[in-house]
Amino acid sequence: MYNALPPWTALAPALLLGLTGLALLLVDTIRPRSRSNTSMAVVGALGALASLAVTVWFVAAGTGSADTGGGITLFADAITVDTLSLFFTAIFASVTSLVVVAAHDYFHDHENPAAFYSLTLFAATGMALLAVANSLAVVFVALEMVSLPSYALVAFLKTNRGSVEAGLKYFLVGALSSAVFLFGISLVYAVTGSLIFAEVAAGIGSLGDLAGIAGIGIVMIVGGVAFKTASVPFHFWAPEAYEGAPAPVSAFLSSASKAAGFVVAFRVFTEAFPLGASVSAEINWVLAFGVLAAVTMTLGNFAAAVQEEVKRMLAYSSIGHAGYALIGLAALSAGGSGNGAVMGAAMAHLFVYGFMNTGAFLFVAMAERWGVGRTFEEYGGLARRAPVACTAMAVFMFSLAGLPPFAGFFSKYFLFMGAIDNGFIWLAALGAVNSVISLYYYSRVVKAMFLDDPTTPSALDTIDARPTALYAAVVFAAVATVLLLPGFGPVIETAEAAASALF
Amino acid sequence: MVNAFAYVPAVVLLPFVSFLVALGAGRYLPKGGAFGGIAATAGSFLLSVWVAATVAGGRAYNETVYTWAGGDQFELTFGLLVDPLSALMLVIVTLVALLVHVFSLGYMNDEGETGLPRYYAGLGLFTASMLGFVVADNLLMAFMFFELVGLCSYLLIGFHFREPGPPSAAKKAFLVTRFGDYFFLVGVVAVFATFGTAAFAGDGSFPALAEAALEGSADVWTPGGLELGTWLTVVGLLVLGGVVGKSAQFPLHTWLPDAMEGPTPVSALIHAATMVAAGVYLVARMYGFYALTPTTLGVIAFIGGFTALFAATMGVVKDELKQVLAYSTISQYGYMMLALGAGGYVAAVFHLTTHAFFKALLFLGAGSVIIAMHHNEDMWDMGGLKSKLPVTYYTFLAGSLALAGIFPFAGFWSKDEVLYEALVHGLNDPLLLGGYLMGLLAVPVTAFYTFRMVFLTFHGDPRTETARDPEPVRWNVKGPLMVLGTLAVGTGLINMVPVQKVFGLEGIDYLHRWLDNEWGGIAGLSSHHYADIGPYSSGYLVGGETGTVLVGAAVSLGLALAGLGLAWRFYNVASPTEHTAALGGIKDVLYNNYYLDELQVWIAYRTADIAGGADTFDQGIIDGVVNGISSVSLAGGGRIRRIQTGVVSEYAAMLTLGLIALLVVLGVGGGWFL
Repeated sequence: MYNALPPWTALAPALLLGLTGLALLLVDTIRPRSRSNTSMAVVGALGALASLAVTVWFVAAGTGSADTGGGITLFADAITVDTLSLFFTAIFASVTSLVVVAAHDYFHDHENPAAFYSLTLFAATGMALLAVANSLAVVFVALEMVSLPSYALVAFLKTNRGSVEAGLKYFLVGALSSAVFLFGISLVYAVTGSLIFAEVAAGIGSLGDLAGIAGIGIVMIVGGVAFKTASVPFHFWAPEAYEGAPAPVSAFLSSASKAAGFVVAFRVFTEAFPLGASVSAEINWVLAFGVLAAVTMTLGNFAAAVQEEVKRMLAYSSIGHAGYALIGLAALSAGGSGNGAVMGAAMAHLFVYGFMNTGAFLFVAMAERWGVGRTFEEYGGLARRAPVACTAMAVFMFSLAGLPPFAGFFSKYFLFMGAIDNGFIWLAALGAVNSVISLYYYSRVVKAMFLDDPTTPSALDTIDARPTALYAAVVFAAVATVLLLPGFGPVIETAEAAASALF
Repeated sequence: MVNAFAYVPAVVLLPFVSFLVALGAGRYLPKGGAFGGIAATAGSFLLSVWVAATVAGGRAYNETVYTWAGGDQFELTFGLLVDPLSALMLVIVTLVALLVHVFSLGYMNDEGETGLPRYYAGLGLFTASMLGFVVADNLLMAFMFFELVGLCSYLLIGFHFREPGPPSAAKKAFLVTRFGDYFFLVGVVAVFATFGTAAFAGDGSFPALAEAALEGSADVWTPGGLELGTWLTVVGLLVLGGVVGKSAQFPLHTWLPDAMEGPTPVSALIHAATMVAAGVYLVARMYGFYALTPTTLGVIAFIGGFTALFAATMGVVKDELKQVLAYSTISQYGYMMLALGAGGYVAAVFHLTTHAFFKALLFLGAGSVIIAMHHNEDMWDMGGLKSKLPVTYYTFLAGSLALAGIFPFAGFWSKDEVLYEALVHGLNDPLLLGGYLMGLLAVPVTAFYTFRMVFLTFHGDPRTETARDPEPVRWNVKGPLMVLGTLAVGTGLINMVPVQKVFGLEGIDYLHRWLDNEWGGIAGLSSHHYADIGPYSSGYLVGGETGTVLVGAAVSLGLALAGLGLAWRFYNVASPTEHTAALGGIKDVLYNNYYLDELQVWIAYRTADIAGGADTFDQGIIDGVVNGISSVSLAGGGRIRRIQTGVVSEYAAMLTLGLIALLVVLGVGGGWFL
């Protein structure tokens, strides 16, 4: 089936996302009167779901998988479609559809919600393009294609001071990071003479005296990746942006955008800077990621433990999770037999994280929609008024903490086991300690919702709205989080196959 | 032909269904769900008989039904093992459970008890748990049902939970047996760690592996280079912990007399066929393992012999009918342990069988007396019930004669074989001989307290108004008594070894042949095999085998008759009086059960002291570390929070510094700047 279609159709998931965004923009521009929040949301969600459906179909059919002849390359090798890209596209499309559905209720009284849907879909298109990039130039363009709509999305509540401030901070840090990233690319190009991954890899193998230049370039590229994944020391924007942005945008950024950073990292550092050649040129980027992973997960979890606001706690927890996922790069060893397993486990973790973290932020969106406060105390007694949503939130929290019987347990377990099998016991141990700390602040939310009393007897009276679409998105994410436990087998197998194909 | 083994799960599930029915719908059913329980146990009984007949037809069954956890090292499974031993036990358990259910109609329903659905639910679950234990094909499954049996006994002993005594007795039974079960659980883990399997039967079973390992043809794990024989002894003793708790052996017997607080039919079930029997059955079930460790066998035999004598002496001074029976139970299970320890596998099973019937009979008889006496259990308030309750009297007498070991009642044959096995094997083994002598000494004591009980209850003149005009009992009490009375008289016929040996009549030792897989069974689970791998050799007194049989039987019968005669002289008079004063200071010791309860309480408090030390350690050091970590992480978090100032230019500075730090670390490490 895969070879019955012309090769360019392999880009269908990205194209579907992009075309949906364009269609929304078109309608919004030429017939502004006929737009309605509902129809826009429906079209956006359908576009994302169609992209997801095509992606799943491609994965099932084996498009670009190692079994069917490897990745499909297009446009003079600038783009390659393989299982890795499809796996991440599935994450992007799932998160996008959840966010779009939830946004329908969140922006119910916004004067121009249409822009939100097209911006979200454009950012998703950029992510899908990042997943298939096979050249540093495409990587940079796609990265900007993700970033620019994201800045606008964070500042989407134009009249809200926090939202605008967050957008500006995000933009400034992002501009700096992009500059660092681009400089790194130029250094690598200077040394290797190419931007195509395979040719860069060949150049890395014969650096000679230029190893130092290449090393500086690679570390700068690490910095660019760290910005997108919200890892230390490029994480400063994340707490501010996630807190100030509308909650659906926070969900989108912390789940999909972070995963987009990881797909770049996974591909660039395995294809363009292969481990063996890099290490023999004394460019030990594994160590760099090891340091980043350790610092990121520790900082994220420690900071999350002292937050007063749930949304900010989730922002730091998402930094902590970036640290866990970095283990997928930090626990590699040249020629190690478990490389595919640990990177695949990191991918599976990001997949599960896409549902549980999006769901958690969407619950915050629901709380904002209701008008209850932002702090832990103000979540007190919520379960009495909204038992279903609070149960879903409890599922997200326990799954994020990595407790059985939720999907987050398995993904973390495989990740830490992969690290141990590859000889990185210290990373796994640090991850386990951090998970214990995370249980503290995650259970604070559950305790507040189920055990505590409302701050005032009338505090919960504002909960009168029943945002159907938000509810649907939250409950769907919760069901997915639970169902991914029995369904974890196919996910981890696909992820490990995709990751193994890179080595 | 339809395969009976396909219905083995039904044997277990029928009482379980009756439990569910009684629990869920008992209050809407007539008699509080009693008929459901009777139907279920009757069905189980018929199926068990069929299963036993199939085993007699030369077949056996050993299958894994369900694997609930699999792994690289071992699998955890549920399975069924039906061989001659478990088939026999199935019949005993279902029969006694059926009779207890019928009797309960008279004891509970007719007496107007409340909470009957709960009662019948408990009985159903109790029976189901015991049956599941009996057919378990591996040690872990056995352990799980063993615990269920313990739970049910807790629920049923504490049935009258509004009175002060029963809840306390239930707790005590639960905690004391749980103490033994801790060792059992560690033993189960040790078996898994050592052999990688806990199966009872088959080539890959743990007894078979242990045997192979001792011969040097298999390799098993032992901790820290411990010698294999020593380690197997340790494992055997660990599992034995559970047995000592459940079968109420010294020093964990103290729960059993208190357990008399439960309704009398429950006592019958606990003592005759379920909970207490479970311990001894477990040793018999894994006898192929115990037979390999002579030290464990010696310990079992000595504990058994000691318990037999020790409990019998306490039974002498009790005033309450059920208390006497309670101590007799402890004592009789001591005999079974003595037999198992002495290599008398068949003798132990034989005594388990006969005891199940005559002890169920005695408890139900006592229940009948208690109904008649309006729930007064003090024997000094009875007397002269013989003429008022003839059915109860004659069946109770049959049970008592069996318990006292008087020829030709069932107990005579089984007790005689127990003592014979201990004697012939003990002539070469001083520890075993000690056990034998204590068992022998217990014989006259047993006969004495048994008939003291009979005479005080049924003979002489009525000593109270109630005894003069007792309440009559109905068919549902008399029926079970008559069935059990017949069995108490006749069960000895299944294994007339002395007759065979003396008169040379071959083939009347049916139980020996049954357990030796003569009709069918599973290789490696036969009495012959156990004798082959066991450590004992036989020695004989004067006159070789026949002479020893005759001497042994004559001595034990003579002692029993002496005890009976003494009881006759003291208590078979119109107005008996207490003779305990003659015992002097020993009386108080016996009344207070050798102060063992006090000793256990004292130990418990000393344990609490040690636990206090552990608590200090936990609070101070463990919690201190945990609290320290949490305050460190919270303080660290607070600092990190302060880094996040909100000023973008500071972010940019820190970001750049961080990148430069990373560059320097990698650059210096990689030698880029050279």
